[in-house]
Amino acid sequence: MSTLTEAPPPLSPTAPEKKPPRRRGRFTPYWLLLPGILWLVVFFALPMIYQASTSVQTGSLEEGYKVTWHFATYWDALSEYWPQFLRSVFYAAAATVLCLLLGYPLAYLIAFRAGRWRNLIMILVIAPFFTSFLIRTLAWKTILADNGVVVQTLGSLHVLDVTSWLGWTAGDRVLATPLAVVCGLTYNFLPFMILPLYTSLERIDGRLHEAAGDLYARPWTTFRKVTFPLSMPGVVSGTLLTFIPAAGDYVNAELLGSTDTRMIGNVIQTQFLRILDYPTAAALSFILMAAILAMVTLYIRRSGTEDLV
Amino acid sequence: MKTTPDNSGDVRLSGISKTYGSFTAVHPLDLTVPEGSFFALLGASGCGKTTTLRMIAGLEEPTTGTVRLGDQDVTHLPPYKRPVNTVFQSYALFPHLDIFENVAFGLRRRGIKSVKKQVEEMLELVQLGEQARKKPHQLSGGQQQRVAVARALINHPKVLLLDEPLGALDLKLRRQMQLELKRIQTEVGITFVHVTHDQEEAMTMADTVAVMNGGRVEQLGAPADLYENPRTTFVANFLGTSNLIEAEVDTKSGEDIVLKAGGGKLVLPEARCSAPATSGGKVLVGIRPEKISLTHADDAGSIPAGRNRLTGTIADASFIGVSTQYVIDSPVCDELSVYVQNVERDGRLVPGADVVLHWSPAHTFGLDAAQDIDAGTEEEVAA
Repeated sequence: MSTLTEAPPPLSPTAPEKKPPRRRGRFTPYWLLLPGILWLVVFFALPMIYQASTSVQTGSLEEGYKVTWHFATYWDALSEYWPQFLRSVFYAAAATVLCLLLGYPLAYLIAFRAGRWRNLIMILVIAPFFTSFLIRTLAWKTILADNGVVVQTLGSLHVLDVTSWLGWTAGDRVLATPLAVVCGLTYNFLPFMILPLYTSLERIDGRLHEAAGDLYARPWTTFRKVTFPLSMPGVVSGTLLTFIPAAGDYVNAELLGSTDTRMIGNVIQTQFLRILDYPTAAALSFILMAAILAMVTLYIRRSGTEDLV
Repeated sequence: MKTTPDNSGDVRLSGISKTYGSFTAVHPLDLTVPEGSFFALLGASGCGKTTTLRMIAGLEEPTTGTVRLGDQDVTHLPPYKRPVNTVFQSYALFPHLDIFENVAFGLRRRGIKSVKKQVEEMLELVQLGEQARKKPHQLSGGQQQRVAVARALINHPKVLLLDEPLGALDLKLRRQMQLELKRIQTEVGITFVHVTHDQEEAMTMADTVAVMNGGRVEQLGAPADLYENPRTTFVANFLGTSNLIEAEVDTKSGEDIVLKAGGGKLVLPEARCSAPATSGGKVLVGIRPEKISLTHADDAGSIPAGRNRLTGTIADASFIGVSTQYVIDSPVCDELSVYVQNVERDGRLVPGADVVLHWSPAHTFGLDAAQDIDAGTEEEVAA
C-alpha cells in the first residue's frame, strides 16, 4: 500500500520538456485497452464460442462431433441433473449465509475495534491463500476425520444426533456428508466475504455512529439503521464473490463429500474428463452460467445497492 | 415553543478535564451556561473547545469533574440518553437516508410514530420543505448545514451543541447562516453552545463568549465586554486586533494611571488595567486600531488636550472600502495599526507622512507585561 503513496521517480534530465503533440495521445486509451481485450478474446470469448458450439453437437469420440443444433442436450442434461443443480444452489447459499454470519462480525472488528491489531488480523484472514486450495481442503479431511477431536467432541455433546436428524450428517460421521461440504465451502470462500465487507465498513465515517448515538439510537439500533445499510455494498459484493464460485465448485464436494453430495461442478467434471460426453458437459456449464446470472441479477435488483454511492 | 425557565437547560460543568495519555486537552474547567443563552466557545484549533463540547454531548468521557444539565448529573450517561443534540462539524448526515428521514431519525428512535407533521414543520423552519425527498449529497453545503440543524432541533433538546457548524461554508453563506442560526435560537429559546475559531462569528451570534487557549478558559463575558476589556494579551490579540505598547508606570492620579512610553506620557483608567500597577513596574498599554485618530503632524496643535498621543510615520496604507488601514511606525512601537473611516480623507496621510496618533484615555486598557505580547496574533496561532 505504502508504495502507492511514494513520490514518482524523478524524470530523467534528458526527457524532452516539450509535450508530445495532442494528436498522438488521442488513441492512447485504446492502446492501453488492447492487451486486456486480446486476452479476453483469446481466453474468454473464443472458449465460450467453442463451448457453445460443443453444447449443440452430436456424435461420439470415435466418429467425431458435428454441430447439429441438437438443443435437446440442454433439456436432457437439465432433466437428468436437476437434483445436483438444486443441491449446488442450496450448498452455495448455505455456505454464503455462514460466511456472512462469520465474516461480518470479524470484518466489523477489524474495521472498528482492532486498533493496532488490524494489520495482523488482516494478514491472518489472507494467510490461507498462501497454501494451495487443494491442500487446505485436504486438511479439512483430517480435521473432520471420524476419530478426530472435532467429531468426537460433537458426538459426545450430542450435536451429531441433531445434525443427523436434520440430514446434515450421517450417524456419527461428518466426513462425506452435506455438512462437511458446506463447511469446506465456507472455509474456502470466507476471505472473499471478509475483504469486501471490511472495505465497505472501513469507509463508513465514524462520526455517523456518533451522530446516531447523539440522536438517541442505542448501539444496536445504530448498527441496524446506520452501519448495516451503509455496508450493503460490501454485503452484496461479498455474497456474490462467495456464492458464484461456491455454486460451481467441485473440489469440496469431491474431497469432503460422497456420491450423495455431488454438486453440479462434479457432474461437469465427470462428464468432461471421465465420460467424455462433451456436449452434455458444455450444456451443463451454460445452464449453470445462466442460472447464476439470473439469480445475481435478481439479487442486485432486490438489494438496491445502486442507491448507495 | 419556549420552555418555562426551570433552569433545566442550564449546563453546569464543574472541574471537568480531559487528558489523553500525557497530553491534557482540557484543564479542570468550571463553566455555567444559563438556560436559553447562546454561548460560544472560541479558540484556535487544539485549544480544547471541541473536547469540551464532546464531553457535554457524551461523546467523550471526562477524566475528572461532572457535567450537569439543570440538576441532573449526566457525566456517565451515554449520548443516546442525554437530552442534548449536536450539529456536527461537516454535518455527519446519514448518506443512505433522504432529508426527511434524516430529520425524522431522532423522533423515530424515541418511538414516535407520526412524525410527518413535525418533520415538515421543521423543514419549513429551515426553508427546506421542497428538498424532503432528496439525498444529502444532492444538496449544497448550506442546505446540508440546515438539515443538520433541523435534525438536531426537532428533538427539542435542552441544549443544542454546535461544533464549528459553519466551518465548511464560504464567507457570504457563513454570514447569512450566522443570522439564520441566531434567528432560530431566538425563536426556539433553546440553550445553544457553539464552538468556533472565528472570533467574528462568536461575537455576532453569542450572548456570552468563553475564549479558550491551551485547554483553559482565558476570559468569559459578553462579546462587547471581551472586546473592550480584554484581560490577557491572548484575548486582546485573538479577538480583533490590538496595539500593545510596553510602558512603565509613572504615577497614579485619581482614578487614572500615568505611564511613560518612549518619552511621552499615556493615561490609563485604573479600572481598565488588569495588571497590578506599582510605580516603576511595566504594563502593556492596549488600544484598538479603530479608536485611534490620525492627524497630520502639521496640525498637531488642533488636537484637544487630555488625549493620549504618540508620534509616528505612516509605513503603509491600504484602502479597503469602508475604511483605510494604516500601519504606523512610532518610536515607542513598530507597526501600530490604525483604522480610519473613510469619511473625510486627509490627502496628506500617505506613506512617509509624519502623523500624530491620539485617542481618548477611556479607550485604553492595561495588561500584565509578563505575558507573551504576541499571544493570539494570527502568526502565533498559525504557528
